[in-house]
Amino acid sequence: MTVSARTLALSVFFLCLAPTVAQAQDAAAAPVQALDDGLLSIMKGGKALGFAGRSAKIGPVVDRVFDLPLMTRLAVGPAWTALAPADKDAVTAAFRRMTIAQYAENFDGFTGESFTIDPKAEVRAGDRLVRTMLKSPKNDPVALAYRLRQTGEQWKVIDVFYQNSISQLATRRSDFAAALAKGGAKGGAKALVAHLDQLSAKAAH
Amino acid sequence: MSVTFVAKLWSGVAAAALLTVPNVAAAQAVARPLVVTPSPAARGLSKASPPPRARHSTGDPIEGVNRAFYSINTVLDRLLFRPLAFTFKTAVPKPIRVGLRHVFLNLNEPVVFLNDMLQLRPKRAARTAARFVINSTLGVGGVLDIAKLEKLDIPHRNNGFGDTLGRYGVGPGPYFYFPLSGPTDLRDIIGGQADGIVLPLAVGDPFNRTEYLLSRAVLTGLDQRVEADADLNALLGSAVDPYATLRSVYLQNRAAEIAEIRHGSAGASALDDPLADPEAPVAGARAKDAFDSTPQDPEPVAPPALTTPSP
Repeated sequence: MTVSARTLALSVFFLCLAPTVAQAQDAAAAPVQALDDGLLSIMKGGKALGFAGRSAKIGPVVDRVFDLPLMTRLAVGPAWTALAPADKDAVTAAFRRMTIAQYAENFDGFTGESFTIDPKAEVRAGDRLVRTMLKSPKNDPVALAYRLRQTGEQWKVIDVFYQNSISQLATRRSDFAAALAKGGAKGGAKALVAHLDQLSAKAAH
Repeated sequence: MSVTFVAKLWSGVAAAALLTVPNVAAAQAVARPLVVTPSPAARGLSKASPPPRARHSTGDPIEGVNRAFYSINTVLDRLLFRPLAFTFKTAVPKPIRVGLRHVFLNLNEPVVFLNDMLQLRPKRAARTAARFVINSTLGVGGVLDIAKLEKLDIPHRNNGFGDTLGRYGVGPGPYFYFPLSGPTDLRDIIGGQADGIVLPLAVGDPFNRTEYLLSRAVLTGLDQRVEADADLNALLGSAVDPYATLRSVYLQNRAAEIAEIRHGSAGASALDDPLADPEAPVAGARAKDAFDSTPQDPEPVAPPALTTPSP
């Protein structure tokens, strides 16, 4: 008797709790959904949109979904603090251009791919982790996880994990390190911007 | 398009998985490098010397040599390996290429089984054994991967002595890049050697013959080069520093594989972002080994919401 009363009380408690939890999860999953929708839309637009068309379409989505300034800082790492403010702005802008250009280049056609998003976002040291799967008719599914951080009211993506093991930002930090080190505190940022713009230009063909 | 698509996802890190050949195993250098940069005193620098600057990245003590090998490989690959691999692709029909791939994969299952057992994973070992038996018989000597099919659902899972060493706490040691065979680390070199002698010791002929070893190396090498092409292009084509990008991807991938063996499949350690925000007030200041610290939120932490329990 007591047990069932307690069970009932607990159930009621958890039922009351459920909607709040669900809402919080949705908040972190929504940007990921927006990104996946945006990518599907430029994939379906494909060649007809052209590189410029796809960039114009995915650009605002990237701006909304990713915390690009934070991602730039994380990718540059400790060297960031030594950069002049103008260099910081230039690197952030170049990082943004490259991100958009590479999405526009890579997502240029549709062959039946679909994304599924795990509605349960995991909590990780104040951040949220949203797991997704990319399914395509011809290939094995690919696990992609997004780490999101709340800035103000919004959850924004700060890192992407490939197959739950490879962090995009850890890879980028490794990728950027030599260019930054070679140029020193002053030349490093300029060298990096030049490299990033080269990559953007290459994406545009 | 579809193969490349996967690779291109976030500018294509898929290459790591493809480059991690079954016999080539291991890495966690990012977290726990075996090699420490010597202090200025140890290097015999005089007082007048400029402050010591790391000449290599963490976990990559012979970076200069590795980069030289990487450059050599890039040239050789463009002139020789890639054209050869694509000639192989055109000359040999796909069913034969896939069949060969399956045969060599199947012949490695006893090594996988052995390591499943050494890692005290009997269930996994049983599945590996079942896979080997099914594919060796119904799969006509391993040509067909019957066990992978949906009804049986026993796909191939890599395992090797490099993983076993990692399972029992051996770190990755220094990173190496070799022309032809690509990225690896000390633990994986040792593990790969051990993997390589299992069949020659246990079975002997023909697995100990040079003809067998050479043809296996050539055939799997060409096949892997073809299969990895799209991913490699996507990964390295989007990199500022392709050498460092490949190293990072290799080490992260191996670290995650070892973490999974040691701590289960949650992948928690890999997903805990190893980066710190350089602008974060306190942690950023001491972000020297940023790779193993959890990022600090630059935003002030919001006070926890007051909970008013309803009666």
